Amino acid sequence: MRKNCGIVLLISIAFFLSGLILSLDAKAHEMTPTYPKWERSHLSGILKAKMELFNKRNDVEYYEIGVFDEGFEPVPFVSAYSVVKLEYLGKVVFDVFINSKDKSRVVYVCSKSKLRKEELMRTAVSSRICSKFKD
Amino acid sequence: MLKSIFIILAGLSTFAVAENTSINGNVQSRCIISTDTEGTYGNPNAYTLTTATADGGVLAVTRFDITLADAYYAQITAPSSFSSSPSLPDTVTWTGDTTVKSISDATGMADYETNKVEFDYTDKYDMTATGSTWFKTTSAAVMGGSKAYAGGSYTSLVLAECIAQ
Repeated sequence: MRKNCGIVLLISIAFFLSGLILSLDAKAHEMTPTYPKWERSHLSGILKAKMELFNKRNDVEYYEIGVFDEGFEPVPFVSAYSVVKLEYLGKVVFDVFINSKDKSRVVYVCSKSKLRKEELMRTAVSSRICSKFKD
Repeated sequence: MLKSIFIILAGLSTFAVAENTSINGNVQSRCIISTDTEGTYGNPNAYTLTTATADGGVLAVTRFDITLADAYYAQITAPSSFSSSPSLPDTVTWTGDTTVKSISDATGMADYETNKVEFDYTDKYDMTATGSTWFKTTSAAVMGGSKAYAGGSYTSLVLAECIAQ
């Protein structure tokens, strides 16, 4: 009985440590929703869309927001952040505002990781996620 | 009497513990880009930097987790310039490519590599199944005229994009 308890304890510790190692190693970038919708804002002629960004990259602190047309040409927009400072495991909900006359042009809203310069000889990974307006 | 009050109070506290606490979640489609391995350049000779394993380099590996089929393209661009480096004595010739390293769904993702579209340094994959896909990216930078790289740090960027369809 005592031997079984010891084995269970060892397995539990192993699971905990492997989970800890995996969580420390994880570097992920996530933005939702996939297909956002435009809503009326409190200002006439201005539309807004709500987005959510989650930073699970421990090597990234800043994300740049951009709004683009079909050919990835930038479209003017306003947001509380054009560059979001987001701590590791931090989440931010933000609104993107556009002029309603640009609604038919706007296709994508994207977030792109901004990397710090480091003294290493390496290939770093810059990530970009783009959600699409379908209506 | 005191004993009865104690029993009643104990009963009430049991009710309090039995209250339900809800945990709310919102499941929605998403794409998550994870950096599995950051690449490292090996330096097999004075004028070459390469991620090839045989030359002491490490390939960059990115993982894409997709929770909705046919909703995203994965687009990975190998480096074509240094994002930071010492001054370069000549022009650099870049080569790079991305291939599928492993997949979580052997049936639904089997055709990812054959169906990809390549242009310049970019490889575009249609993510037709849910699950995880690992992509490996190679990069090599050869200095023109076989001139030597100056000592210092060289960094280039692999761009991993998840674009809604």
